[in-house]
Amino acid sequence: MKSDAFTKLIGGLAIAFALPLILLIVIPFNHQSSLQPVPYPEGQEVDGGMAAYPDATLYKVGESDYGAKIYAAEGCAYCHTQVVRPTYAGPDMWRRGWGGREEDGLARETRPLDYEQEEIALLGYQRIGQDLSNVGHRITTRELMHQHLLDPRSIDADSGMPAYKHLYRKSPYGKGWEPTAKAEALVDYLLSLKKDQPLPGVVTTGG
Amino acid sequence: MTLPEPTPEEMEERAAIDRSTRYPVMFFFTSAAAWLLVATLLGLVSSVKLRLPGLWDDCAFMAYGRLFPAHLNSLVYGWAMQAGVGVMLWLMARLTRNQLRNQAGILVAGHLWNAGVTFAVFTSWFGFGNSLPLLDFPKWVWPFLGISYLLIVAGIIPMFRNRRESLVYVSEMYIVGAALWFPWIFFTANILIGKGSAPVMASGLDAWYITNLIYFWMAPVALAVAYYIVPKIAGRPIYSYPLAHASFWLLAFLAGWTGFSRFMGGPFPAWMPAVSGAATIFILLAIAATVFNLMATLKGCSKIWEFSPSLRFTVFGMLMLATYAVLAAFSSTFSFGQDLQFSHFLVGLDTLAIYGFFSMTIFGAIYFIVPRITGAEWPSGKRIRTHFWFSTYGIITLIVTMLIGGIAQGGNLANWDQAFSTSFVNSSAYVVGRALAWAMIFFSNFSFLYQLALMFAGKGRKSDGPTLIHAKPGEAESARAAAGL
Repeated sequence: MKSDAFTKLIGGLAIAFALPLILLIVIPFNHQSSLQPVPYPEGQEVDGGMAAYPDATLYKVGESDYGAKIYAAEGCAYCHTQVVRPTYAGPDMWRRGWGGREEDGLARETRPLDYEQEEIALLGYQRIGQDLSNVGHRITTRELMHQHLLDPRSIDADSGMPAYKHLYRKSPYGKGWEPTAKAEALVDYLLSLKKDQPLPGVVTTGG
Repeated sequence: MTLPEPTPEEMEERAAIDRSTRYPVMFFFTSAAAWLLVATLLGLVSSVKLRLPGLWDDCAFMAYGRLFPAHLNSLVYGWAMQAGVGVMLWLMARLTRNQLRNQAGILVAGHLWNAGVTFAVFTSWFGFGNSLPLLDFPKWVWPFLGISYLLIVAGIIPMFRNRRESLVYVSEMYIVGAALWFPWIFFTANILIGKGSAPVMASGLDAWYITNLIYFWMAPVALAVAYYIVPKIAGRPIYSYPLAHASFWLLAFLAGWTGFSRFMGGPFPAWMPAVSGAATIFILLAIAATVFNLMATLKGCSKIWEFSPSLRFTVFGMLMLATYAVLAAFSSTFSFGQDLQFSHFLVGLDTLAIYGFFSMTIFGAIYFIVPRITGAEWPSGKRIRTHFWFSTYGIITLIVTMLIGGIAQGGNLANWDQAFSTSFVNSSAYVVGRALAWAMIFFSNFSFLYQLALMFAGKGRKSDGPTLIHAKPGEAESARAAAGL
């Protein structure tokens, strides 16, 4: 009688857990792991003549993924998302530059394959700062990106971003600051954030 | 109907059980309370930093992105889970009428757990984290927590198997659930994140882990406490057993589906956030039934909660649980979620779960358990009152400011032709509320830790009467009844 109640309880708990584990976690996980790059149809013109979406080399800046590690370690994802929601779920695409290059008709919501180059896609927790999915299209030079990290309020006086001075050191030649290897890697990573590669089979209207 | 008075033999048996749990449970409670103080301090500093982003610019450890994960890790793993484990151990021993065996093993697990928490807090603080809330530590940290928890489960489950009553209490079911579900979600999340080539699922798994921790671990532990304390102090059985069972299974079958609605419109197949949202809404039924059941048990005894600290904290915790379930359900619909997603509302909601319903209920349990295992009464009812009111003011300030601030912030974010920084500027006043709230909670827990340390050191009040919140001479009799003695 006793062990009976025990077995029943454990069995019930196991079923209650196994269902979402398999259907919500394991199957989508495997599905996503097995996603393959989608080739472009012949004749579809895309930036720089790429063969497939996603293209691993297209927007990459720098050699390693050290910058992504710095981004994670500094906790950037607590204030910055990397999600552009489709219009039914929020007005993200209406904000200038968030969805990608509007002038070329390439702005769109983010898709699972956009994150393929990263080990962990940091979709984010809160949106205290701007969405960074396409920040590489908005801030295009290293100087400006460094200035943003070192002194954000010199660009926008109302910015709520802390200055990341600990990623820089005082220049030995007197004035100014010098980026460390961490800052350079982080800038590489931020400049590479462009999630608007044209989707195969979708005709773009702009440009 | 009232419960029969215990016989002297039963009293003796209970005392023996209490003695067997004394050292492990007190170890968990005191280290949890110490971590809570650290967590509230980090919560205060991180909120100040969010309001004044230019403050302490040169210092890497003072960036919000490092303070906030350290705050979350210490609050959840340091305080909430440790205190919860202590409560689970004692409740299981009492309910199954078993003495706690293998105290040394449990103490080893406790030290291992504290080592894990220390690593988790300091790695995220010192810049080795991975930016996934609540899993924000390097890969080598999680086995400490995982193995330690398995050791604790190995202490809890045998007690349940050897229980001396044929009836299975609802509290026991919730504790068994909490014992088995946590390792499952914790191992799943930590093993799968970063594996394969499913980068997006890492963030999805993290969101799933957070809501599962709330619905699959915090809610069961808190409900186990409520289903024990409420009938015990009211001196009558639970209003409806069938309702209690039904809501248990409803919660059990729905909780695992939640989480993905935090990324509505995110890069997932559209059915995943939709299913999660639906599950969050249906959980409302389970929570409403449970809270109704508990309140119906208390019907007509509302006077008791003015006196009994345990009951007061527990009832407040249950009301917060109902609030949490309602707000979580609202924010999982597209119409509300559009604007509330990614706003301050989310922080308010998570803190409402961790501090509002879980911690407050656990405080109730601690005020009940500690006098029994140390054989002394709490030194001061006044300090308990301070603890209750400042915690209540704090958490309500936090919820209200984060809720309204979240709506304001979300509304500004939705105005796509406004400058982005307006959302930061307009919501920063509410962040002051968040800082004030943590200051109040810090103050309240200072008096809690102080009393707990006195109890731990054997400096409790030696008296046959329990410590009550209002102890006027004329009310001694009703007070006695209030404590269920």
